[in-house]
Amino acid sequence: MEDYKFLFKVVLVGNAGVGKTCLVRRFTQGLFPPGQGATIGVDFMIKTVEVENEKVKLQIWDTAGQERFRSITQSYYRSAHALILVYDISCQPTFDCLPDWLREIEEYASNKVLRILVGNKIDREDREIPTHVGEDFAQRHGMYFLETSAKEAENVERLFMEIAAELMEQARSKELPRYETNTTSINGKTTSIGDTSNCGCSRLS
Amino acid sequence: MEDYLPNEYDVVVVGTGMTESIVAAAASRIGKKVLHLDSDEYYGGLWATFNFDGLQKWIEDLKVSKTSTKDVSEVDLESEETFLKTSNEYSTVENIEETWYISNDADLPVVSSKDTQTDSTGDGSGSGDEKSDDDKVEKKENVKQWSIDRIRKEYRKFNIDLAPKLLFARGELVELLISSNIARYAEFRAVSRVATFMDGKLTQVPCSRADVFANKTVSVVEKRMLMQLLTSCMEQGADSPEFDGFRDKTFLEYLNTKNLTPIVQHYVVQAIAMATEKTSCRDGVNRTKHFLNSLGRYGNTPFLWPMYGSGELPQCFCRLCAVFGGVYCLKRQLDGVVIHKNKCKAIISGKQKISLEHLVLGQGHLPPEVVTSEGEQRISRGIFITDRSIMQGEKENLTLLYYPPEQPDQEPVTLIELGPSTNACPQGLFMVHMTCKRTTNAKEDLAYVVNKFLKAEPLDPLAIRSSIHSHTQTVSPDKRHIQEGDQDNRGESTEESPKPQVLWSLYLNLPASDIKLNESTPSNLHLCSGPDLELDFDFAVNQAKSIFESMYPDKDFLPRAPDPEEIVLEGEEAPGPKFEGDTEAEEKQDVEKAEKED
Repeated sequence: MEDYKFLFKVVLVGNAGVGKTCLVRRFTQGLFPPGQGATIGVDFMIKTVEVENEKVKLQIWDTAGQERFRSITQSYYRSAHALILVYDISCQPTFDCLPDWLREIEEYASNKVLRILVGNKIDREDREIPTHVGEDFAQRHGMYFLETSAKEAENVERLFMEIAAELMEQARSKELPRYETNTTSINGKTTSIGDTSNCGCSRLS
Repeated sequence: MEDYLPNEYDVVVVGTGMTESIVAAAASRIGKKVLHLDSDEYYGGLWATFNFDGLQKWIEDLKVSKTSTKDVSEVDLESEETFLKTSNEYSTVENIEETWYISNDADLPVVSSKDTQTDSTGDGSGSGDEKSDDDKVEKKENVKQWSIDRIRKEYRKFNIDLAPKLLFARGELVELLISSNIARYAEFRAVSRVATFMDGKLTQVPCSRADVFANKTVSVVEKRMLMQLLTSCMEQGADSPEFDGFRDKTFLEYLNTKNLTPIVQHYVVQAIAMATEKTSCRDGVNRTKHFLNSLGRYGNTPFLWPMYGSGELPQCFCRLCAVFGGVYCLKRQLDGVVIHKNKCKAIISGKQKISLEHLVLGQGHLPPEVVTSEGEQRISRGIFITDRSIMQGEKENLTLLYYPPEQPDQEPVTLIELGPSTNACPQGLFMVHMTCKRTTNAKEDLAYVVNKFLKAEPLDPLAIRSSIHSHTQTVSPDKRHIQEGDQDNRGESTEESPKPQVLWSLYLNLPASDIKLNESTPSNLHLCSGPDLELDFDFAVNQAKSIFESMYPDKDFLPRAPDPEEIVLEGEEAPGPKFEGDTEAEEKQDVEKAEKED
């Protein structure tokens, strides 16, 4: 058994070019920019953090470019505990697409999934979407809100740490999306959740 | 507006069915530049799984022709190039018949005081604990009785398969998922029982050695007999001298020489080998072997079911393809292919001409010019939402039943029953899938099995009410309705083993999977079949393998994809990623930072 108490799946969505991969890389590797070639073959990133003296393992999934032509597989959303919807504060169209993304999220993600709206690229000087507009949108749709800069490492750490803390809180009060824990994961590992101390997953190989 | 795609690829794959998706993943995995298109806005084609709403849209869309209207004259061709328009005629779904057996909310009877009274008298006269429990549940659920509106409202909780398929625990697909590391994208649930119909009722087939020995319907002698037979199939296989005299004979003819008792023979033929009278000895032995081989790996039976439905699996391969750089574009129509000197040179999609080395086409995107036979293995499907299991047990089960034909003109039917824990349907409901080879149409082909195991008559509360009063034709035959004055059909839930009531059904015919291309087909055009009649995905996996081999004979087929932990990233100074284990210092820093920020 690996040394962590909680395992959470976090998925990122949003238009191409809003900086999803940069956010993940900044958080997991402290790198910016991530370098184009490196994306090939990278599926999800893992980082173990500590919240209230408990180890929390975050599995952070990126879209693998399938968002480019709005072709994300439904299975991408399965079993997600948190969902980060990202737009670029200097690019109006990426904000205008948010309702489309929300529709897709409604359709495929668990309705209890923790949702966070992130306005990225606050280092840019050509801002098009004022903070309060993003905030309003998030509030209307029951989402958390944060503005970040992957480039300047602003609020990136905070984003993921708050997600980890919130999910842990939910896990403790049992409000976490309940995914079936008796499923079989055939690679001998399990991507399903939660409090590993009482997880009923079959660990078969 | 149409998305502009880059113009050159090594491999263009059209259609996101199982075979197409595996080929796409395999090509991308070895570094080929892959473009994967689908004219639909969802993944999977005829292999798709839909929620209830999505299925309704799919049915609606079938009425609209999607065939390209593009004319050759509009295509910009160079000399010696010919244009072949593609057609969706080989993926035509026929005989769609959707039926509701329940009412809309508005048509449900208002819960009057009289009804409530009836309920309470029912409580009083309750003969046992079980009964009163039922009544309590009913009262609570009274307003929440299943109606058309309620099913539509809970559409997200349904995952309905067009082509439901199981995985043998040691079948081609499980091995491939593990060896390629694609298994991490999917989750499974073990089929919890294999059922068979024997002596007029459904029984659970003993699958494991322990099951066999715990089984009370089989004598000790029979148990020994069964184990012996299974051992010879398992250890020696069809090439063993044991089966020498039966090369041209059927499996049944072989079994008849073994002096098996009827029960043992029944288990072997109907549940383990899932054979008919026509099954050859070789096939029977191989099927038995396959079944036995897969036992004991996961769960009680040899089978796994993909969580959220079979339609998840093509998507897992698509994800891998994308992770390795494959470009995905749904809702993108293929208009036709450009042939140059008997090679596919490009495809035409919208305004774009996209060049390629290999073209992989799902059978719904073939130019009619290359098709020589439409195939014969056509499929009849029935999908049913029911209110209880065909074989009620203490816990929720995932059941597989093979039902052999009763008459010579019928085909054997495979029945898979899924419960809420697979995410096929909400709590309180079951989803039954039936599949057989088409002879007439889906409804007629499956009727004999539907009538055997399900109650597919309208459940109209008003009709039942009136029938009770007039003492004429009663939809529900139990006498309790009258005895207890219970004017509610739900009274029948206390019956011994009532058939599941069908709330909704859908019949459809899928096209044949054994479509053939003619010999003049360009060698770089590869056909991917639609769903086949077999229980599992092996056909698709093997077809994908052979397509990949013909494209890239010297390359590995889906070598293991690295785990994120194993990838050393560009520009990273540490020799390896530092996610696991020895990261305490790092993490503490993180926490401190976070605390400061807070």
